Amino acid sequence: MSVDIEVKNLTKKYGTLTAVDNISFSIKNGEIFGLLGPNGAGKTTTVEMIEGLRKPDGGTISITGIDALARPEKIKEIIGVQLQSTSIYNKIRVKEAIDLFGSYYKKSIPSDKILDIVSLNDKKNAYYATLSGGQKQRLALALALVNDPQVLFLDEPTTGLDPQARRNVWGIIENLKKESKTIILTTHYMEEAEKLCSRVAIIDMGKIIATDTPENLIISSGLESSIEFECDEFDFEKLFNGLSSVGKVVKLDNGRCAIYAKNNAATLKELTDFTTENNINIKNINTKSATLEDVFLSMTGRKLRE
Amino acid sequence: MKILGRQILLENKLFLRSFEDIFWTLAFPTFFMVLYGLIYRDTVWEDFNMRAIDYTMPGIIILALMVTGIMATVTGFVEDRQKGIYRRLSLTPVKRQAIIGSQIIYRYIIMLVQTIIITVIATLAFNVKINGSYLLLWAIITVGALCFLSLGFLMTTFIKNARTATPISMIVFFGLMFLGGLFFPNTIMPDFLNKISLVLPSTHLNNALRMVVIEGSGIKAMWKELLITGAWIVGCLGLSIKFFKWE
Repeated sequence: MSVDIEVKNLTKKYGTLTAVDNISFSIKNGEIFGLLGPNGAGKTTTVEMIEGLRKPDGGTISITGIDALARPEKIKEIIGVQLQSTSIYNKIRVKEAIDLFGSYYKKSIPSDKILDIVSLNDKKNAYYATLSGGQKQRLALALALVNDPQVLFLDEPTTGLDPQARRNVWGIIENLKKESKTIILTTHYMEEAEKLCSRVAIIDMGKIIATDTPENLIISSGLESSIEFECDEFDFEKLFNGLSSVGKVVKLDNGRCAIYAKNNAATLKELTDFTTENNINIKNINTKSATLEDVFLSMTGRKLRE
Repeated sequence: MKILGRQILLENKLFLRSFEDIFWTLAFPTFFMVLYGLIYRDTVWEDFNMRAIDYTMPGIIILALMVTGIMATVTGFVEDRQKGIYRRLSLTPVKRQAIIGSQIIYRYIIMLVQTIIITVIATLAFNVKINGSYLLLWAIITVGALCFLSLGFLMTTFIKNARTATPISMIVFFGLMFLGGLFFPNTIMPDFLNKISLVLPSTHLNNALRMVVIEGSGIKAMWKELLITGAWIVGCLGLSIKFFKWE
């Protein structure tokens, strides 16, 4: 498979703050590549540099073999972008907006076909201002698709949407994947990344700290399952790390503790035996399979949605 | 060129759908013209030895140009910029010259429509006579349009958000209106205000327009007025090109 996006040593500084610190990655044709990280981690700055909205302080970007920094005009024809908050003229109709954006490109898809893709056919004559949040987001997606782009950038495509609208957008993205478009998706919803992405890169403080498929990230972290509970003890990290079946102990907010392990059942038994024996009070116990959220937490010590 | 044309068409379409835009740019100056016409009727101002409505009519045209060039341009552009419309457009191949060019041309078209409406009402309903040439009248409107549009775009370079855009453009608008002597002569102002007045473009555009409408003067008589307005255009245009902000 050919490489559609190749980023090398990308760096961006704001004063003394290095927002993006020497990042490199490559994305193959047809992949949905997720950039995960908390707000301020540098994901938006990274994609905005690739899109051409911001100038990097260092590094190279190549999109389908074209040098993006040297030939931005050529890049604009082959990429589609959905910004985190796109807004257009209040009094423009949905179909008009799609036609307008289509007219900016050398080649474009007919608006009726786009309306089908994002299922906005029944709203095609509605003013932009009258659309709901989910409909606006789908229109933003439609505008990103008008030029039938090979590479698509989706920046937080479902942030602020209700579950139903979110599932709608996911359905559209999954269909695009079938057309072997290459997609860069930034999100802070773990569920979204796990569901959609072929691979994810976890970004924290301007650096990529891990890149792999969502499953591999979870397996290789050794955190296949987790036990969360409340505990009054002050120094529980030290306390539980001594248990033989425990992989990792992480302190959460409000007195909660998370233990990651390979085998929940064995660890749970060891934990309860240990706490009963030593008269340690634990309560509100939850066990579940580990998610990307847990991987992130164990790598950075912080939650994604802080 | 095709894109420029389509963009101008779009701007006009959006204008016709916006009640506020139509109210402020078309209904408001028209209302002024009708109101002044009904108030003054054939009242004669002895000091100037002419009808009050003849004296006031050019000022109403300048007022209309300022509504579009300053108020509508500043609030409209700052709001669209704040919403990130220009940022989104910058990701498409459309040229920025086409975007800004279409805005200037579309505003200019609105200004011509305003001038025509006011002139038609003034001449047909209130017997105002245009004594000079219509060509020169059009030329002054065009110079005025350029002047207020470049001033408006200059203002967008330092106004950050839509909330402050309205009050700031109001201040500039009213300042230019009252100190420019649009509705009462600046000779009645105290000396220091009169000095300020003599610097403002509204004063000189208004004087030039009066010369055409009332005195029927030719272009040679108003070289000083046009020169001062020209200086404003060059200054505002230069500064706004230098400091222009798309985001």
